[in-house]
Amino acid sequence: MAAPFRPCDHCPKPAVVHNTVIVNGQMTEVHLCEDHAQAAGIQMPGQAPIHQLLGQLAQVGAARPRGPSCPECGHSFHDFKTSGLLGCAACYEAFASTVAPVIERAHGGATEHVGSAPTRADNARQRAALLQQLLRELEQAVSAEQYERAAQLRDKIKDLRPTAAAGGPEAAQ
Amino acid sequence: MSNLPGSDLLNGDRDVVMSCRVRLARNVAGFPFVGRATHPQRREVLETVRAAAGPDEASVGLAGGRVGADAAERLAWIDLTSLPKRDRQLLWERHLVSKQFAEGDSPRAVAVSPDERFSLMVNEEDHVRIQVLRSGNALRNAFDAAMRVDAALGGRLDFAFHPRWGYLTACPTNVGCGIRIGVMVHLRALRVTNEIEKVKRAAKELHLAVRGFHGEGSDATGDWFQISNQRTLGVTEAGLLEEFAGRIVPAVVAYEREARRVLMERQRTLLEDRVFRGISLLRSARLLGLDEAMKQLSSVRLGACVGLLPGVSVDTLTRLTIQLQSAHLRAADPAIETEEEEKAARARTARTALGEWP
Ligand SMILES: [Zn+2]
Ligand SMILES: [Zn+2]
Repeated sequence: MAAPFRPCDHCPKPAVVHNTVIVNGQMTEVHLCEDHAQAAGIQMPGQAPIHQLLGQLAQVGAARPRGPSCPECGHSFHDFKTSGLLGCAACYEAFASTVAPVIERAHGGATEHVGSAPTRADNARQRAALLQQLLRELEQAVSAEQYERAAQLRDKIKDLRPTAAAGGPEAAQ
Repeated sequence: MSNLPGSDLLNGDRDVVMSCRVRLARNVAGFPFVGRATHPQRREVLETVRAAAGPDEASVGLAGGRVGADAAERLAWIDLTSLPKRDRQLLWERHLVSKQFAEGDSPRAVAVSPDERFSLMVNEEDHVRIQVLRSGNALRNAFDAAMRVDAALGGRLDFAFHPRWGYLTACPTNVGCGIRIGVMVHLRALRVTNEIEKVKRAAKELHLAVRGFHGEGSDATGDWFQISNQRTLGVTEAGLLEEFAGRIVPAVVAYEREARRVLMERQRTLLEDRVFRGISLLRSARLLGLDEAMKQLSSVRLGACVGLLPGVSVDTLTRLTIQLQSAHLRAADPAIETEEEEKAARARTARTALGEWP
């Protein structure tokens, strides 16, 4: 046990299982303490052949002993629950079903952002994605006859169009 | 009117509002949030933000343009990882960084403008925390400056943004505008008249956070409160500012002023007793602990604001609330080693500022 201290991915205890696994096509290092390794259904090293170990680790997410993990950063649901913090932007999607109600409760039931958008002018990709999403929501709002919401969405879409963006308060270079 | 002591204090509500600030939380797209990022990644974020911010106030979108300012407009970048403990505390006492930020050891830095009205924390809970501070109530001015910095940095950095949730933050409750608008208010009279709980309840109903002088868990310095918004989703930045600067702050200020008026009218002797005891103590004490100093400063400040202490400047008292903090005393006199030496230095600083007696 002379290896340098490496904390468990899910808690501050020392990791005793160290492995490289492939999750969603990405090589990822996994370090687990005894408890979390067992919770993940992993036997201790020496008790199981290595290939079996790898196979079980790759299913850590699927087995959900501690809930799912973010495919982007590896943040687990357990991490989120204990720290109250998310690991990266993609965590908002990975934990959407839990995070959405938390956000809505914290903001008096508000369900979406209505403030400013990033100013970066050459961030065409992000703007395009946002535009797509808003157009989809507009379609839904119109078909559901939610006219007030549709009007709000139209305003947001208008704000996103290049002409509006170029003349906005963000024109500072 | 104009010879009424303290009437110029109404300018910027300085009789009640010590300072105000606007803070924005942002993260750089493509990096894990700070808590999840490795130290090399945090370094990279630090270098990326630093490069994007540029060297001076102008490069972060602040006009600069103060009379006589030229090279002095440069931002000071302070690397917290290599900073001694006392200097970290100094930054925190000046409200330039949070306590959590000051105490951490992973790669982190803060950029500070020469007048300390602007600071940029890198790698606090979020990659970027833009903070604009103003003395008195100048929220609109602080808000405009913060928005300019956001536009300037956002023009060079990809901030993490979600079509539904807005600006993404490590803590999911900060999403949306990622903005905190806040004031530091001195509510001494409302404490004396026992109405402070009412204020706190009202604030809670309005989704406001009420904290002590230095944020969470600092009730020792009991008469100062930081009030800030908590809701940041489903509202626009401008809407939040309007509600805060246009309704909430004026209401709090009016409430405290009314309590002061009532005290002067109905409990003048009690009020005078506290104020005059306070000023005597600050002018004469030889050893002064921090809690006692803050308590007496609070009484004296109230007295100065209602005109009981014509010779005492409220701005001096406001400055003293910072100058009497531990790290400030120790920075001013590095020879201080013991607790008693610190208390002596605190008493000396107060006496010098307020006129020693005897
Ligand atoms: Zn563990
Ligand atoms: Zn993540």
